[in-house]
Amino acid sequence: MLQIQNLHAGYGKVEVLHGISVEVPQGKVVTLIGSNGAGKTTTMRSVSGMIRPMSGNITLNGKNITGLASNKITRAGLAHSPEGRRVFSTLSVTDNLLLGAFPRLTFGRERGDVQGDLKRVFDLFPRLKEREAQLAGTLSGGEQQMLAMGRALMLNPDVLLLDEPSMGLAPLLVKEVFRIIRELKARGITMLLVEQFAAAALDVADYGYVLENGRISVHGPAEQLKNDPAVKAAYLGAAH
Amino acid sequence: MEIFAQLILSGIALGMIYGLIAFGYQLTFATSGTLNFGQGEALMLGAMVGLTLVGHMNYWLMIPLVLVFGALQGVLVERLGVLPALKTKSEFGWIMTTISLAIIFKNVAENVWGHDDVTFPSPLPTAPLQFFGLRVLPMEILVVAGALAVMLAVEIFNRKSIYGKAVVATSNDRDAAGLMGINTGMVITFSYALSSMTAAFAGVLVAPLTLTGATMGAVLGLKAFAVAIIGGLNSGMGVIVGGLILGIAETTTGYYISTGYKDVPGLLLLLLVLAIKPAGMFGKSVIKKV
Repeated sequence: MLQIQNLHAGYGKVEVLHGISVEVPQGKVVTLIGSNGAGKTTTMRSVSGMIRPMSGNITLNGKNITGLASNKITRAGLAHSPEGRRVFSTLSVTDNLLLGAFPRLTFGRERGDVQGDLKRVFDLFPRLKEREAQLAGTLSGGEQQMLAMGRALMLNPDVLLLDEPSMGLAPLLVKEVFRIIRELKARGITMLLVEQFAAAALDVADYGYVLENGRISVHGPAEQLKNDPAVKAAYLGAAH
Repeated sequence: MEIFAQLILSGIALGMIYGLIAFGYQLTFATSGTLNFGQGEALMLGAMVGLTLVGHMNYWLMIPLVLVFGALQGVLVERLGVLPALKTKSEFGWIMTTISLAIIFKNVAENVWGHDDVTFPSPLPTAPLQFFGLRVLPMEILVVAGALAVMLAVEIFNRKSIYGKAVVATSNDRDAAGLMGINTGMVITFSYALSSMTAAFAGVLVAPLTLTGATMGAVLGLKAFAVAIIGGLNSGMGVIVGGLILGIAETTTGYYISTGYKDVPGLLLLLLVLAIKPAGMFGKSVIKKV
């Protein structure tokens, strides 16, 4: 479904990713774990076109999307819920969600069941339904995260990128976020997940990659990574 | 007292023109963080093209053609001046390019239409109407109504249509808007088209009240820039109030003190606002996250 091959990327002249390869098969959840600055968010940004890769190859459904503008990649079927939520603060919750379906709302006619999708997102996140007319900027951090995820789902994406969905949230909300990720997985949505809570991420994922200083150090089925002594020591800690 | 009320009325019409041009500055600043410093020249070109067309047709038929011309002129400015600067991530390149284009437009206008200021035939009766002893030109009413109509139309577009929402989303967060499948480059081009269209419209509104000529835009553009700063570059209310303050300050100072000093109060206010509330009277300060 989504294939990243030998990706080099960075900012300006500074290379952050030194040739990584990741594969996200259809219907699977793949997680990318690693410490701060390892290149997780840079990987996500390269895939969704927020930054232009220096070299390498990214394909979505067999289509080469390397270096395309983000709006084209979105239209090819990839949704990205970015790090830091990035909701449109001066627009209402409903407008934020509708913009998630923007490619299907242009030229004066609706393509596909946008209203039905909106209802399904509200069913998944009842809190958003309660606040549908409120400006996104006035939502709490947890609600904004729900909105960012809901907005990405409005695309009906082939692949969903979730970057640090639990960042900055209270423990109870972190649990809620992971419950929703499980729910999305049960619906068969293909996901690439970046998380600081490596243990929780490996619990929900089918497959995992460990990113260290811009290179993949270990990868394997999530179960196997959870029991890997090196991964355990470095990322899972004693508390987990 | 009657004279004072009369001065305020004249100030309102002038102020709405400043407000409308300032509104044009806001449109491009919101989506791209850049301004067209040739906004005054866009106004002048609109008025000159309008003047040429009025020789062949009725004023009201001329307006849509001037609007189309304004939009195309805005696209030209964006493509030639702003897009290259944004692409090379040049933080201030657009300042120089839009000023350069403004000078070129002024020179072209001087060569095409000459150096002399000419009168623009008024589409409405030039005899003032009387209200409670106050005189109002029908054209002044048209200016106020026209300016408000443009701002209202843009506001409705932004709130109701999916494209308007895409414009607001781009203003909020350009990268995130791109992730929604919005072509943010197109949105910026569109905002330049809309901005110049607004200026061209302001040109044909103000032209029957003033003289029309290649140099008419420079002062208007500069004063409207002061209005945008006074009111706040991101506040719709701010440009209306800022425009009215500047317009009224000008007419009253011109009468009570001296026409030579009519620009002073507005510029003093500009200095005051910059010293006390740099985001503008109604502006929200933007925190730049790094």
